[in-house]
Amino acid sequence: MEEPPLREEEEEEGEEEEEEGDEAGPEGALGKSPFQLTAEDVYDISYVMGRELMALGSDPRVTQLQFKIVRVLEMLETLVNEGNLTVEELRMERDSLKKEVEGLRTEGSAAGREVNLGPDKMVVDLTDPNRPRFTLQELRDVLQERNKLKSQLLLVQEELQCYKSGLIPPREGSGGRREKDTLVTRPSNARSNKEEKTIIRKLFFFRSGK
Amino acid sequence: MRSSLTPLGPPVSRDRIITSFPKWYTPDACLQLKEHFHGQVSSTCQSRNTGTVGLRLSKVVVVGDLYVGKTSLIHRFCKNVFDRDYKATIGVDFEIERFEIAGIPYSLQIWDTAGQEKFKCIASAYYRGAQVIITAFDLTDVQTLEHTRQWLEDALRENEPGSCFVFLVGTKKDLLSGAACEQAEVEAVRLASEMRAEYWSVSAKTGENVKAFFSRVAALAFEQSILQDLERRSSAQLQVGDGDLIRMEESPPETQESKTSSSLGCC
Repeated sequence: MEEPPLREEEEEEGEEEEEEGDEAGPEGALGKSPFQLTAEDVYDISYVMGRELMALGSDPRVTQLQFKIVRVLEMLETLVNEGNLTVEELRMERDSLKKEVEGLRTEGSAAGREVNLGPDKMVVDLTDPNRPRFTLQELRDVLQERNKLKSQLLLVQEELQCYKSGLIPPREGSGGRREKDTLVTRPSNARSNKEEKTIIRKLFFFRSGK
Repeated sequence: MRSSLTPLGPPVSRDRIITSFPKWYTPDACLQLKEHFHGQVSSTCQSRNTGTVGLRLSKVVVVGDLYVGKTSLIHRFCKNVFDRDYKATIGVDFEIERFEIAGIPYSLQIWDTAGQEKFKCIASAYYRGAQVIITAFDLTDVQTLEHTRQWLEDALRENEPGSCFVFLVGTKKDLLSGAACEQAEVEAVRLASEMRAEYWSVSAKTGENVKAFFSRVAALAFEQSILQDLERRSSAQLQVGDGDLIRMEESPPETQESKTSSSLGCC
């Protein structure tokens, strides 16, 4: 019986200090959204209800109801306190996570350029059809092959011209002209012995020709 | 002798026959001022005693910044075409041009190199053994002239000192008025003499000076080849056993050629 009003009085003092400026006073707590409810609001409600119960007089049924109401208000107080505490905790956790993510993001973008890749590295977009993908050696090999084929083509073109103009009788054939190939292709090292002998033979032929 | 050389290829086209020694472009920057073939060369050619020179391919390397017109210059000379569209050379390319100089067949293998920085490491592998280095620049872009110094240095590094003829060629002459060209040439000629190079202004688009320039290149290279060959043969004393001829079996002719030019160090 005594308890609720006592607490109400204590709280009332607190209310007066902090929330008296509020438009509604203790009654206003009842108009609030349940999600905005604070422990102080619960005390306000207790005060209001306690006052009204007192007004009903000392009927034992009222006393019975008062115990239950006090119990319900205590439960509400616990829930509101607990809820607000959880909200506060979550808010703090959210803020610290935000900070952590931001930190990682700035750190990550700096690291992406300098630490992970190094100054002479570059990022390749694997979906870009024009991305670099062949090695220098592969290009060298292709060029060398192209040069070889081009020199052979030039040689064949000349040879064809020789046949066309009747400079080489058809049966004398390619043997006599193979050595040109050796002269043309470059850079190349391996040549068959047979072809080298042809040059040698040719050169000795010049010697004896003089 | 002559008859043994003829089957090596079809007759060269009329405008590749050089009978009199081609003249320089400007006496202020030229490799030689003489107007005729070297006496010894003339007599050697007349007696058809030119050894293996007619069988050889002399190597010419063209270097210079991208888009100065190296490929255009070569294509104008070798194919007589001019393509307005720019297409960057990938790595290297080459053309072979056959001449008949003083009655002797002679061939130039003209190496066209990429001007783009990223291909430098590929193209530079082809600098070695060059008898002629042509450094090209754009007459309308002074920066490309400044860069020729570096291009030449890179090309010379791969060759024996004094073994190469060097030419400095200003391209796109058609884009300049006569007066502007003369102005651009002053600086170029000064740099050419510093580089010990012969200077030429050309236009691949109009073809101006292109044939004259390459004829000059061919004649100078030819004469050097004949003289080197004469010297080599006189020192070899015509001994087949330990002369150079037998060495052909071990090394390809081009290697031997560069060895010879290095030992003579003529330029």
